[in-house]
Amino acid sequence: MGDSQSEELIPTVNSNQQVIIETQGLTREFGDTVAVDSLDLSIRRGELFGLVGPDGAGKTTTLRLLTGLLKITSGSGSLAGFDLATQPEEIKRHIGYMAQEFSLYSELTVLENLRFFSELFDVSAEDFSLRSEHLLEFASLSPFRNRRADHLSGGMQKKLALACTLIHEPEILILDEPTTGVDPISRREFWDILAELYDNRTTVIISTPYMDEADRCSRVGLMYEGRMVVCDTPEAIRGQLEGEVVHVRPDDWQAARVVLGELPGILETQSYGESIHLLVDSAERRIPEIEQALKGKGVGIKEIRPAPARMEEAFISLIRGLAAHEDTPEKT
Amino acid sequence: MYPRHVFAVVRKEIQHILRDRSTFVLVLLAPTALMLLMAYALTVDIQHVPIAVLDYDRSSTSREFVQQITAGDDLDLYAQVSSMEEIEALLMRGEIKVALVLAPGFARDIRSLRGMPLQIIIDGTEPQSGAFAVEHVGWRAEEFLNQALSAQMGALGVPQGISQPIDLRVRAWYNPSLKPRVDMIPGLISMVLGFPALSVALTLAHEREHGTLEQLMATPITRAELLLGKMIPYVLVGLVNVILIPLLAMLLFRIPFNGNFIVFFLLSAVFLFAILGMGLIIGVFMKTQPAALALSFLLIFFPGFFMTGIFFPIASMPEVMRLEALALPGTHYAIITRGVFLTGVGLDVLWPYGVMLAGLGVIFLAIAGLFFRKRLG
Repeated sequence: MGDSQSEELIPTVNSNQQVIIETQGLTREFGDTVAVDSLDLSIRRGELFGLVGPDGAGKTTTLRLLTGLLKITSGSGSLAGFDLATQPEEIKRHIGYMAQEFSLYSELTVLENLRFFSELFDVSAEDFSLRSEHLLEFASLSPFRNRRADHLSGGMQKKLALACTLIHEPEILILDEPTTGVDPISRREFWDILAELYDNRTTVIISTPYMDEADRCSRVGLMYEGRMVVCDTPEAIRGQLEGEVVHVRPDDWQAARVVLGELPGILETQSYGESIHLLVDSAERRIPEIEQALKGKGVGIKEIRPAPARMEEAFISLIRGLAAHEDTPEKT
Repeated sequence: MYPRHVFAVVRKEIQHILRDRSTFVLVLLAPTALMLLMAYALTVDIQHVPIAVLDYDRSSTSREFVQQITAGDDLDLYAQVSSMEEIEALLMRGEIKVALVLAPGFARDIRSLRGMPLQIIIDGTEPQSGAFAVEHVGWRAEEFLNQALSAQMGALGVPQGISQPIDLRVRAWYNPSLKPRVDMIPGLISMVLGFPALSVALTLAHEREHGTLEQLMATPITRAELLLGKMIPYVLVGLVNVILIPLLAMLLFRIPFNGNFIVFFLLSAVFLFAILGMGLIIGVFMKTQPAALALSFLLIFFPGFFMTGIFFPIASMPEVMRLEALALPGTHYAIITRGVFLTGVGLDVLWPYGVMLAGLGVIFLAIAGLFFRKRLG
């Protein structure tokens, strides 16, 4: 669907760069299920491309198709100039792939894991000693070089996994939810490494369930039920949000939810602790109405103000819109 | 084929074997330990079988016969009974395994050289003891009859020299005392060397379960490089066992080693190559470790035990099973181990079995390579 439009919206920063990942009508079926449905993707060299979407949207299948690990049902694609259907082994030399359930060889040390992958990717011994020093430094793993992988913390394991996929200096890095289940500090460190790669013009395609991470990408593709629904810069996606966000902090959260649920002009409500985020058609018009309605029911307001739209609101609103859209034709 | 890729996998796998305690035990200690256990358990000599005697004759001859039969450590007289009902009661309670019934006229028939009216009842639920007793009684009865015969002959004035009607002298070559251990142990070696094959199946399934295989598939390593890299370390640890087990067999069980050790070592390496090929096939097809374990028992251990001629001679199997036995590496290796240990034959006799093993190994590896895909789903 909206993919022909998204082509035009590729940010100008990248437009002078060549397209390095391209798919046309990429489709993968598992029996009767269409996991990836005619995906058109065009990613330019040096992009940091985020793939978001609910579980089961087809993110992992898409990434596995791009690495050549899964056979294409129909459509075509190319990475770094190699054809997905016919040259999967050539593609593997040019990419670094970190599977969702990446697990290292737990009995091997940090350095041994790195060396193992360097040998499989034909990195010379000299290059290995240079790059491993750099990568270990980079991932703050230098003091742990001789520690067994299973004695590292979860965050350190992820950083080591990333280092393993970088040891052959791939042109394209494909990361499948690399930060899921990682503590916030390690997550931040992980992204700082990615940001440096982005500066080095390595193309990165990353899937993530975290919206703050999507915000750090140069472009985000939102997948839903196997299709690419939106593909744009984070700013543009936030801008697509129809309506504005109002932040309310009532003194009685329970009562406020009931009152707000009956008000006109409120498109979405999301709770954040004691606060409620309301997606409204117009903040300027609705804020006085909300204040009046809450006061009328005896609910005190500690704070009410317009809030900037976050990726999360845009994302949830888009998904709910799609789900509702899909339900209606069935009912009629 | 890049040797560096193969070597990288070999080194990683050896580090895994040496550092992962359960793998270490499974491939390096389990074969030797199991060998010990089986050698003791499976080769216990049968002794002191409890028997009951129902003597309808009650003559001095019958008493003498019973006394002769129960002398020594083989059969123990548990009870003298007076009816078949008593025998059944004892058998059902498991107190005796064998009963002897001496018919009326036992002494008279022997005296008149009409034979020996003797019935043996054995507990069919435990045929080993029964078969042992039958053999023992038969042998003692023959001896007893011969004695009676020569006594008669002597009474008639016939010279003693021709008193033995049959003079059959059995000589068991290569295992003079016919000790079961001596022929079992070399056969059991092929069984316990199934452990490296089990391990290689488990390690492939382990990588699949833990996601490292997906990671490997996304590297430029080829299928052949990966399979060879997986196989070589387990051939090496298998060869450690090939050195340990004969030492154990010779020192602990006093099994002779009549052949050439180099020949044994070489042919064992070929056997490991073949059996590990089977392990790789299992690892390629099975997605989880429990499944790989179950199939290893079905394809490696169970047939290795019952179909390779260790227990039952292959010649006595139905034709279909004989063909299946030919496809099992253990069948050929059992012949090799017995040949090297006991008969002391060399490559001049054993080379066809080595060739068969090498052929099987190549076929197994080809099947594993053919069905192992560098793709998911």
